[in-house]
Parts: sequence; C-alpha cells; structure tokens
Amino acid sequence: MSHPVLIIGAGVAGMTAAVELADSGIQTILVERKTTVGGNALDLYKAFPTDDCFYCFEGNRWRPGIRKCFYRSALLDQPNLVLKTNTTIKEISGEPGSFTVVLSVGPQYVDAAKCIMCGVCLEHSKAFDIVSPQCQPQAVTYDPSKADDGAKRAAEECPTKAIDLDAEPSEETVNVADVIVATGYHEMQPVNIDEYGYGKIPNVITQLELAQMLDPNGVAGGVLTRPSDGEPVRSVMMVQCVGSRDENYYPYCSKICCVFALKHANIIVLERENISVSVVYMDIRTYDRHERYYREAREAGVNFIRGRVQIVRPSTSGGVEVVVYDSLLDRYLRFDADLFVLSSALEAPEGGSEIIKALGLRESSGFVAPANPESEERVIVGDHVYACGTALGPAEVPESVTQARAVVSKILQSRRG
Amino acid sequence: MAETDDKTGPPVTLIEPIDMTKLDPNFRKEIQNMPDGDEVNACFACSTCTAACPIANQWKYKPHQLIRMILLGMREEVLSSREIWECLTCFQCQERCPQGVRVTDIIFDLRDLASEEGKIPDAVKFLAKELLEKGQLYVVTADWEREDLDLEPEVPGLSTDEFKEILKRTRTGKIAGGE
Repeated sequence: MSHPVLIIGAGVAGMTAAVELADSGIQTILVERKTTVGGNALDLYKAFPTDDCFYCFEGNRWRPGIRKCFYRSALLDQPNLVLKTNTTIKEISGEPGSFTVVLSVGPQYVDAAKCIMCGVCLEHSKAFDIVSPQCQPQAVTYDPSKADDGAKRAAEECPTKAIDLDAEPSEETVNVADVIVATGYHEMQPVNIDEYGYGKIPNVITQLELAQMLDPNGVAGGVLTRPSDGEPVRSVMMVQCVGSRDENYYPYCSKICCVFALKHANIIVLERENISVSVVYMDIRTYDRHERYYREAREAGVNFIRGRVQIVRPSTSGGVEVVVYDSLLDRYLRFDADLFVLSSALEAPEGGSEIIKALGLRESSGFVAPANPESEERVIVGDHVYACGTALGPAEVPESVTQARAVVSKILQSRRG
Repeated sequence: MAETDDKTGPPVTLIEPIDMTKLDPNFRKEIQNMPDGDEVNACFACSTCTAACPIANQWKYKPHQLIRMILLGMREEVLSSREIWECLTCFQCQERCPQGVRVTDIIFDLRDLASEEGKIPDAVKFLAKELLEKGQLYVVTADWEREDLDLEPEVPGLSTDEFKEILKRTRTGKIAGGE
C-alpha cells in the first residue's frame, strides 16, 4: 500500500517537501550527497529577505518560509521520513508511478542516531569534525582521508559506540511512486573569464567565498583579511553579472546575485569598521521588495559605479588594482581594492544533467524545465516527477519553500482517492 | 608598477584613468552636511534630472553626472565647473527626482562652497558688485511705462542705503567688495 516519494537533495526545498509530505502521512526518502543537510544555504551566513543567520532561525518560526530549524530537527524523528546522507542516485528505471531507484550509499562511519556530539572523538583525531553546532543530523562527521592513529582510540572510547571505522559503501534499491528533484544550484567558478583573474590573483574571490569570510562561525571569525597576506581589508570592490547575462557563459540573469551582493555590502559597511565598498554593475536588479537593500546600501555610503571592469591586476600595495569604465561619466577610474568579489553566475549543480537524462526531463540552460512550458504549473516536470527550489533555476529562499509546498500539494491532490 | 621604462607590453589603457586615491572621499559627507544635501546618497543615477533639465544639452557635465562626481569625490572638478553657475534653477530636476535628491538645492550648496574658495565666474562677480554698489540689481528709472501708469518718476520712499550697509557685512560683500 505504501507509495513512497523520493526526494533528491536536502537543501531548503528538499527538506521542506520532505517534512511536509512525511507530516501528511506519506513515506518519504530524502537523499543527500553530503554528510550534512542544508545545502548551499549553510554557506550563506545571513539570508535575505530576513537577514537571519542560516544556522538558526529560532526567532523566526512564525514567518512563512523560514522554519529551517524546525525542519531539520524533524528529519531524524519523523517516522515517515528516511534521511540518507552521503548518498547519490546510481540508476533510475521503471515506469512513471513505479520507479526503481538504485542508491549508492556511502560508508556510514558515524551512526547519527547514536551520536551525542560529546566531542570525545574530536580530542583524539583530526578526522572527526562538527560541521556546525546546529548541523543536521546532529552528529560528528568522519573524513577517512584524514585518518590518523587517534581515530581507532576515538572509536573505542565513543560512549555510545556510534563510530564504525570499517563501514563500507553499499547499494540499496528502492521502489518509489513519485520523484522530487531538488538538486539546487552551484556557484560558477569564473576561472575562464580572463579579465577578472579569478584563480590567478588570490585576492579575487566569489560572493559565496565572501559570505564564508563574513560568517562569525567561519574560519576567520568574521574578520575580513586579504587571502594573499592576511592584512586587514580596507576596501572591497564587487562586480555584478560575472558569467550571467553573457551569451558566452549563461544567457539568463541569475536573479539573486544583486540582492546577496548588496546584503554583503551592507554587512561590511554597517557591521565592520572602516571598510569601503564599491559595486560595479550594468543594472541593479533588486527585484520586488528587495529594492530596500539597494536603497540601504546607497544610504550607507556604498559606491555604485555603472560600467564594466577594464583590467584587474595585483597592486604594489598588496591589493588589487582595478580600472573601471564608468559609463555614466564616460571616464575611466582606477581603484586600489583589497578584495575583489565576483558575483558569479548560479549554474546547474554537478550531476544535475545525469538526473535530467535518467528521468527524461526537459532542460533549460542546465536546470530542470517544466514539462509543459505553456503551463503555469512550473513544479510539474514529468509524469510523477516534480522539481522545486533552485533545481528549476535561481530562486530566493521563500520562493524555494513555496515551490516545495506546491509540489507537496500536487502529490497530495494526485493521491486523493 | 613601472610607468615608462617597461616597454614590453602595449599600454594598459589609452586614456589615463582617474586615480581614486587622489580624489576626496569626504566630499560626499561635506555635501551631506550642507543644508540641502542630506539625500545625495540616495541617487541611483537614473538620470531623470538630466532628462528634465532644459539646458543640460549644452553642458559637459549633465546634472546626474554632477551628482555622480560628488559621490565619487571629484571635489575640484565639481566646484570649478561652469555648470553649477549656469543652472537656471527651474527646479524641474528636483521636482522629478524619484529618490528625493534635492538636485537644484544641492547646486546652490555647490555655488556656496565654490564661492568660499573664490571660484566665481567674472559675470557673477560683476553682478555681485552691482548689487553691492547700487543695493539693487535693476535700478528703477523714470520711463514711459511708469508715465503710462500715471506713476511718479521715482519710486516713493525707496532707499537702498540700509540694504547696502547690510550687504557689505554679508558674504556677498566679502566676496565682491574685497579688493
């Protein structure tokens, strides 16, 4: 009688769909490639539109779309929900409504149900790590590539015997009625766009890398320093539309980069001491209510330069010399920036095309496309196949959550007697 | 970077860029602290002001560019520009600005700042001198218009002496009557 639903990807959209389906009494299998759920959202530090820290949304449960803590804590305790971390899709076959899916389950070194995060293993071996205090599942992770002598002792002394160093990868076959693709996005690594020097000049970084630098829980504790020499950052320059709206890379607008770039600009100008920020742009597309980020950034003194970058190269002061063409003034400007941040295109994730192929879905610029382009039902991407969140293309968090709920609603409607 | 000795590569750029470190990053603050400049940061360079301006087609720097130059810190160039003196003060730009920037009022502020530094065009200085000497810009003379209207040749009771006295002690007096 059971007609389980398979959800691929445990990011914002996947988690939302999983918990809401399970709560509706439907058997749900949530598959995640990484050892911790949360997806890209974990690396964003503060998330728009509420500017809350993604680690903990405790104060925002009442807000629609912002209930991540609640979802995460439900992942292990909800009896209808099976979470499979460290797992990828190997093969999909069968008919719509009755798919046979082979899962490659990575070695489960730490039993999340047993781990109490006491930290004994961390004292003995560097191979163990806690991704964040709020990570889900609430368990340490083990990286076999860092295995050392202490690992064995850690396994022996683990008070709940949660560690199994001899764990092997395995395969598992499941039969599911519906598949939800929630594979998310990936930030393009703009190594091929020569003029920006990414990958060659150490002080040239991407917005996601900046978000991790700004994160107080991150390695640097939220202090901005130059990657090249560790000197404190005094000036930051950002450039928008790197690889987006560019027929040589991705023709579409990545939609949310303007908002998160300005979110970062505001954090730097308002929450750090004496750091100036300039943003080079073609159009600022802080759509809808996000216009407030643009207004706030201007009022905070962020310097906006409409134009494009001519040249980027290391400067004598150890930073980056940037020459910008200001198209409003029709003049060239030379800046000395400590950090040069690229708002790089959001692209389809690695492995996304295999899933699209395996399920026979339509594709648009690498992302999953709706089954019927004329239809308003964007989340229906095939027969018994749905997609939500950034698997469908760049989206903000509330939009991902709305789409996930639309998928849940569609599945529940299709099963109504 | 070697400027001239290194001839291995082509020139970086044909036009020498404006060196941002040589500009005055506090100029924006200075304008904000003037009576009408509080909103200058809100400008998003839509160029509505330039679209509204009846004479900007004659200008090297359009109104939106002047605001951009303030924000970038191009103090010298803005205060020495002829544009700030040629503004008709019709207030169209200010009326239409979608972000509430008081463009015309800022141009008045810029004139004040420029005057403080003695950067006043001769024509304006001449007018100020006239005002200082005569106490009024347009002296009313006995002419046919007054006659047609049955008015006496002189404006009764008009005395500019007191006004001239006051003007001498104002900034106009300092600027135009100095030498």
